Amino acid sequence: MTAAGANARIGRIGLYVLLIWTCLFFSIPLLVVIATSLKSSDEVRAFSIFSLPTEPSFAAWIKAWFAACTGLNCGGVHVGFWNSVRILIPSVAISVMAGSVTGYALSHWRVRGANIIMLFLLLGAFIPYQVILYPLVKMFSTIGIYSSLPCIVAVHVLFGLPVMSLLFRNFYAGLPEELVKAARIDGAGFWRIFVWVMLPLSVNILIVATILQTTGIWNDYLLGLIFAGRDNMPMTVQLNAISTTSTGVIEYNVNTAAALLTALPPLLIYFTSGRYFVRGITAGAVKG
Amino acid sequence: MSTVSVSKLSKSFGPLRVLQDIDLAVEAGEFTVLLGPSGCGKSTLLNAIAGLEDTDGGIIEIGGEDVTQREPSKRGIAMVFQSYALYPTMTARSNLSFGLRVKSVPKREVQRRVEWAASLLQINELLDRKPSQMSGGQRQRVAIGRALVQQAKVFLFDEPLSNLDAKLRTEMRVELKRLHKELGATIIYVTHDQIEAMTLATRIAVMRGGRIEQYAAPDNLYEQPATLFVAGFVGSPAMNFLSAELIGGTVPAARCGSTVFPLNSYPFRASPNDSRNIVVGIRPEHITLARPGSTEHTIEVETLFMEPMGADTLGWFQFAEQRIAARLPPQQARSIDGRARLALALDHISLFDPASEARL
Repeated sequence: MTAAGANARIGRIGLYVLLIWTCLFFSIPLLVVIATSLKSSDEVRAFSIFSLPTEPSFAAWIKAWFAACTGLNCGGVHVGFWNSVRILIPSVAISVMAGSVTGYALSHWRVRGANIIMLFLLLGAFIPYQVILYPLVKMFSTIGIYSSLPCIVAVHVLFGLPVMSLLFRNFYAGLPEELVKAARIDGAGFWRIFVWVMLPLSVNILIVATILQTTGIWNDYLLGLIFAGRDNMPMTVQLNAISTTSTGVIEYNVNTAAALLTALPPLLIYFTSGRYFVRGITAGAVKG
Repeated sequence: MSTVSVSKLSKSFGPLRVLQDIDLAVEAGEFTVLLGPSGCGKSTLLNAIAGLEDTDGGIIEIGGEDVTQREPSKRGIAMVFQSYALYPTMTARSNLSFGLRVKSVPKREVQRRVEWAASLLQINELLDRKPSQMSGGQRQRVAIGRALVQQAKVFLFDEPLSNLDAKLRTEMRVELKRLHKELGATIIYVTHDQIEAMTLATRIAVMRGGRIEQYAAPDNLYEQPATLFVAGFVGSPAMNFLSAELIGGTVPAARCGSTVFPLNSYPFRASPNDSRNIVVGIRPEHITLARPGSTEHTIEVETLFMEPMGADTLGWFQFAEQRIAARLPPQQARSIDGRARLALALDHISLFDPASEARL
């Protein structure tokens, strides 16, 4: 073997050592959480957080799901899970559909003041929403739906619209203008072109939008805490309530199990639909 | 089959006037080609006729009816686009029938028309394929089929062949000519390719800067271009332009360097003024090698190089400050070297005013 070859080999080995180290380093928190959730309460207290469970069991997971306590309420995180699902489905469906129609209108129809609308959409997409929380609360309590399911859904739709509209606008702007022209000559109007020509082309971007909205809304904490109300508390808010409960012994294994349960849906979505995500993001150049 | 008449049509994009008082009359059954360089407004004009582009002023009539304010689908037109614009998620059959289904045409009638168009264009075996499973030429046929099933009064083509390779383009050109003959349809066709324009059109409208420079039959356009621009744009290689001085009198003549050409047979549009600068235009095929000893209507030139094209050879020569192209028989061209003497066929020249660019 030549000296150069040996050097290259050493460099390669160094690279892999570094990469493996980095991977381990960044996965430590996750590994600790998984290990802790599989231990018993006694074991958690007796050993270091880095030690592996001696008798792995899902007891903590079951307790977290069915019986973890938030204050005096010991129903487990499954209550929050179903609340999150109830918030999620209408929020995602409405924001994605409204965003796609807005994006389609802005890209292929001459809308009066389209540039102004785009400017506001950009502003809307990048303004930190903490800024407008208070006026929103006032607004919703004035119309009388504050702290309810419609309220939190409306909030998610409102905050989702700018990004959704921009995403769909950019996607539709990449489709040839002549497609809409041809359909207009064929006699189709705004909605018929949208439903029969544009939507069938939008499968990938619809998946991307749904993933973005689903993970965003599922992971939301602040909006859920403020707007959902006590009866519709999403899983994230409930998780926080469980882990900050200060009475009695802190059950780290149950807390970590609850955290993992909460994080599971978005993780599953990423793992199962990652390829759609990449495909959709790069799908701007759709050709006939 | 129907007439199309455009009068005083204008359109601006901001300060840019893309259409300036356009007048255009297309007879029923005519194949009118809008020809011009990119940005001349030809596609905008076609889109305006289709109703896809709002206009600022003027009237568009199709079949004698004012359609200026009508929706595209209510104008009795069908259109074929450069990018084909087939609906990517639909099969060829659905592409063809989409417009008819939108208009709630009875199923049997839809089927009848699709079959008719498919057999006319020989695309029967493509009907169940999606656009992505077809070649460019096949897609273009389907796109034409989609226009045919509409049984429109007027067909609009927006550079339909420019995405095809050279061989397919020639094929489709013949196909379009056949369709026009068979259907007797009124067609307005946009292109920047002068060969397409010359071969297909019954009349060509040459456009430049939002105006129509000349609207005439191909032969007429080629032999008697109305402006310097038309003369230079139509024909390949372009018409040769020699600057000369006009000498008036009983027998008008042009002085070009040391040579004087009589212009007594030239059909002047207005009686020529004395001593002014003019441009003499002559096509490469109207320049020949002068017979030995003959000096009449000839110019002496320096040979630059030869371009053999097969059927004939293009000879390039330097005359004073100008470069001249001549279409010569190949055997003759091979013998030319150094200085040469060229004869001009004066029956075929065109004279222009360099200031107004108009034909004299």
